[in-house]
Amino acid sequence: MSGPVSSLPAGGVARAPLRLRLATDRLAVRILLAVALSMLGAALLIALSGHGPLTAFAAMAVGAAGSAHQIGAALNRTTPYLLAGSGVALCFRAGIINIGAEGQIAVGGIGAVAVALATPAGMPPLLAILAALLGGALAGAAWAAVATAIHIGRHVHEVLATLLLNFVAVLLVQQALAGPLGQFGAGFLQSPLLPRAIWLPRLPLIEAHPGFLIALAVAAALSFVLWRTRFGFALRVAGASRPAAAYAGFSLARLTWGVMLLAGALAGLAGGIEVLGVQRRLIEGFSLGFGFKAVTVALLGALEPLAVVPAALFVGLLEAGALSMQRQIGVPSALVAVIEGLTMMFVLAATVRRA
Amino acid sequence: MTEFLAAAIRIATPLLLAALGGILSERAGVFAVGLEGMMLAGAFAATIGAWAGGSAAAGIGLALAGGAVIGLAVAVVAVRWRADNMVTGLAANILALGLTSYLLRVAAGGGGRPASIHLPLLGPWPIPVLADLPVVGKLLFAQPPLTYLALLGCVAFTLFLGRTQAGLALCATGENPEAAFAAGADPLRVRMLAVIACGAVAGLGGAVLSLQQVGTFTDGMTGGRGYLALASLIVGRWTPFGAAAACLVFGAAEAFELRLQTFGVPVSSYIVQMAPYLIALAVLAVLGRSARLPAAIGRPLEQ
Repeated sequence: MSGPVSSLPAGGVARAPLRLRLATDRLAVRILLAVALSMLGAALLIALSGHGPLTAFAAMAVGAAGSAHQIGAALNRTTPYLLAGSGVALCFRAGIINIGAEGQIAVGGIGAVAVALATPAGMPPLLAILAALLGGALAGAAWAAVATAIHIGRHVHEVLATLLLNFVAVLLVQQALAGPLGQFGAGFLQSPLLPRAIWLPRLPLIEAHPGFLIALAVAAALSFVLWRTRFGFALRVAGASRPAAAYAGFSLARLTWGVMLLAGALAGLAGGIEVLGVQRRLIEGFSLGFGFKAVTVALLGALEPLAVVPAALFVGLLEAGALSMQRQIGVPSALVAVIEGLTMMFVLAATVRRA
Repeated sequence: MTEFLAAAIRIATPLLLAALGGILSERAGVFAVGLEGMMLAGAFAATIGAWAGGSAAAGIGLALAGGAVIGLAVAVVAVRWRADNMVTGLAANILALGLTSYLLRVAAGGGGRPASIHLPLLGPWPIPVLADLPVVGKLLFAQPPLTYLALLGCVAFTLFLGRTQAGLALCATGENPEAAFAAGADPLRVRMLAVIACGAVAGLGGAVLSLQQVGTFTDGMTGGRGYLALASLIVGRWTPFGAAAACLVFGAAEAFELRLQTFGVPVSSYIVQMAPYLIALAVLAVLGRSARLPAAIGRPLEQ
């Protein structure tokens, strides 16, 4: 039922592992062209609003990277997209269209906060943080497991299983906040503020938390897994041809379980980092739109975990800059979603494997 | 009870129109993940049309066009350029969300603020005599115009898919494009047109929200209804009446949740709000393999 993602490259099996495999394919050129086209579209829309596109882009750039504080904020925005997006990239490589990152991030947030609030006060901070992040990752993996069980056990298309569970997960956050994790009398759905000891520390010089470094390490590790391990090889074979993978003796069910749990854990970790590092409490709707952006950056990064890094940075910087563009010159920040949507459409159109 | 059913029908109407559009697309072999974006574009265009054009008819006309534009984008990328259907649909949804929010602010707002548009709601058009029947009269024959359209659409689409040359060509393209080609149809053209038509019809579903139920446009106002419509057409096994039944079940679940709230029943509304999604998952899981999709769905056309 679910063929490989036809629009994406599957090959490169025998190439040098540490080189980005984009250049050989002219894939990078096509993706950059797609980005350029969508920026052109954005420029037209800015002109439509009666502002100068260049002024707007300049305001966006200054807003995203004009000061150490702003760079930190942009890196913090990038982190969940990079973590969840590189997991999604691995799933797509195997032809498994996991769009459940949204729900996995949400449930990861629940897991991290549940652990954080239950941690005894005397625990060493580093241990408490690790425990909370582990709670997030496990919760995310568990949520991915639900979708995988429905997909594999009952042959429900993975897109539908993951998509429908996203909505359930977002409601689950609200339910948790209305019940056991909520702050009584807060007026809206949120958990109590987490103890200060458990907040992710700030890196020196820039105002970012170390989550971005974790995400970078994860992307590098996933690239290694994809190109240097038997599991990664099996993923690529399955993505290129399911019958070939079955013929080669790879269990498609086991592969699906493996990559879904991995992606779920990473999305859950992203949720935990977002909660501990940025929100410092669980808030209703904190994960809104994160899951779909994970798909965007995975595609923009050509499903190569290392290339997802610049892709996630692009989206993170864009979003951080857009708010300040709206404040400075009044171009609506909703422009970012237009750029993201256009980029995704153009990338899809530009990277189709020609028959 | 009548009120409860009326609420269920009201909630089901936008879903049903979107699902009808989705049936066209999926029966032709293209996954309809973009329904959410098509509905949203329709809801936005309807609001702008009714506001700028001064009549609901202008709104409805523009809703068809707005949905069709998103349909066209999906058709070009997913059918013409053969990209993955599902991911293209998602991209279209993000694009529609961004475009509608942006344009709402540019069209009539200022400084990043959205326009505030308030439209008179489309009221019920009671059908003489029939509307006076007990119970059914009020439920079925005293509805606003787009609700009648959704009900008529079920009949029309059933006839179209099963009894007309074009409808059969459409279904053949979804089952076996090579055979359809051999029989003289042009699968590429059929799929492109089906997806564009899907957009237009789903756009009407969005117009139900903005013209008939809310009276304005707000960012992301479809709130996942497009995905629910997608689930209902699958649960309804790609038939108009099946989808209608599924939409009514989802509508009833939401109406039930609203009732629980008003009566202060101590059941968490969040748990009840999960119902449509859980029902859809459960039905899909029970159907399992027997939920037979159009055979060539999602498969790009060979040139």
